[in-house]
Amino acid sequence: MKIQLKSPFTTAIAMSVGLVVLLGYFFGTNAAGESTTLGWIRDFFLRGAVLLAAMALLVGVANLASVHAAKIRTKKEAGYSLILLIAMFTTILVGLVDIVRMNLSGSPNFTWIQWVFNYIQLPVETSLMAVLAVSLTYAAARLLGRRMTIFSVLFTLVLLLLLLGAVPQFYAKVPLLADMRNWIINVPAVAGGRGILLGVALGTIATGIRILMGSDRPYRG
Amino acid sequence: MTILGFVAMIFILIFFGLMVLLAVSGREGSRITLRQIPAYIKVQRAIELAVEAGSRLHISIGRGAITRPESATAFVGLSMLEKMISSASTGDRPPVVTTGDPALAILAQDTIKSAYQEIGLIDQYQPTLSQLTGLTPFSYAAGAIPITRDRKSATSILIGSFGMEVALLTDGCERSDNRSLAGTDDVSAQAILFATADDPIIGEELYAGGAYIEAGPMHIASLRTQDVFRWILVGVVIAGILAHSLGLDQTITNLFEGLL
Repeated sequence: MKIQLKSPFTTAIAMSVGLVVLLGYFFGTNAAGESTTLGWIRDFFLRGAVLLAAMALLVGVANLASVHAAKIRTKKEAGYSLILLIAMFTTILVGLVDIVRMNLSGSPNFTWIQWVFNYIQLPVETSLMAVLAVSLTYAAARLLGRRMTIFSVLFTLVLLLLLLGAVPQFYAKVPLLADMRNWIINVPAVAGGRGILLGVALGTIATGIRILMGSDRPYRG
Repeated sequence: MTILGFVAMIFILIFFGLMVLLAVSGREGSRITLRQIPAYIKVQRAIELAVEAGSRLHISIGRGAITRPESATAFVGLSMLEKMISSASTGDRPPVVTTGDPALAILAQDTIKSAYQEIGLIDQYQPTLSQLTGLTPFSYAAGAIPITRDRKSATSILIGSFGMEVALLTDGCERSDNRSLAGTDDVSAQAILFATADDPIIGEELYAGGAYIEAGPMHIASLRTQDVFRWILVGVVIAGILAHSLGLDQTITNLFEGLL
């Protein structure tokens, strides 16, 4: 028997579960701080969501493999894709070997996969971080060329001021520079950041309500 | 329930009520004028250009996990995705979607498939149009860079939850003369995008995307509700400043502490 989960059905499930989780947030505990039935149901759904997200990881890895296998077949950037697939399957293999070793020794022993993380993944990501620093410096230097507005000029001036205020040789000679830097960081930057966060919070509430109402449906069925 | 929880529930109920009210009043023919956000005007142009010039649109909805608070940004990206895919799929090169979260990649696949179904092009749908490019911030960026640097792509639309790794994506766009339109919920990444993206989307503008690309009347209603609540919050902040200046803040704090 083939079950077809059409939109109204999936929407009803999503709305009900969302509502229970939201109500569980407000009525999930009683006055004594103990979990109520609603709280228990909310936790059940949340644990289910976490499990589903973990399962999605497997699907995601399969998607990654299929995209790069297709690139190898079409010989489009096949070299990088081949390296990616070899690295991916080697890492999975190393992880599996570690699991077998753990079962044989009877104690947690993930030294091989930890080696892969410490000596391959971490240095590669750190290198990307270094590239990022170069990219940002270049982008900041090019900002005024790309977009000459009052805000871009202000952004660049504040950036220069903050950078100069952070250099000991400068702020030792001009204490005002350090004071200005601290004032910018503690007053306008914090105020602006909080303003943006308030807007983000309102946007998050609006998005959540639209999903609860079934107006936005990021699931199709 | 605590007083704080009760206040939060009332806040959400009022928000919900106002959204419904404004959605209903919006349907009764009143003309709504939205303020101009240049990035969203350019999103429309980018879609038209992709169809006319036969270039590819790259849409990235970030790496906001659905079990975390940043999922809201991911859902904004998804709601815009359907509309963008529907408009751009008729071009020679179908849009490509990249994500950094596996559950989001599945939802994106589902959204793309649904958009293709609605426009009657389901035979052209390929599951690889939605790609999970990496699971950590930098591996995600590294996987998406080749797509941003693809000369057949004219524009990259980056709407979702990103950290500072987003600079690598905008840099990729710049190196291949592709335009980048980007918005995120992360405050530090927003500063980075202001400097690196061609058209940055700042602050809560990100959540207004649905209203600007005509994703539905509820998007406009929610945007108007956010505006109302923003003014209320502005009033509360000003009242707080006045209370502090007049030395009444301690009295108000004591009053709230008594209630809580």
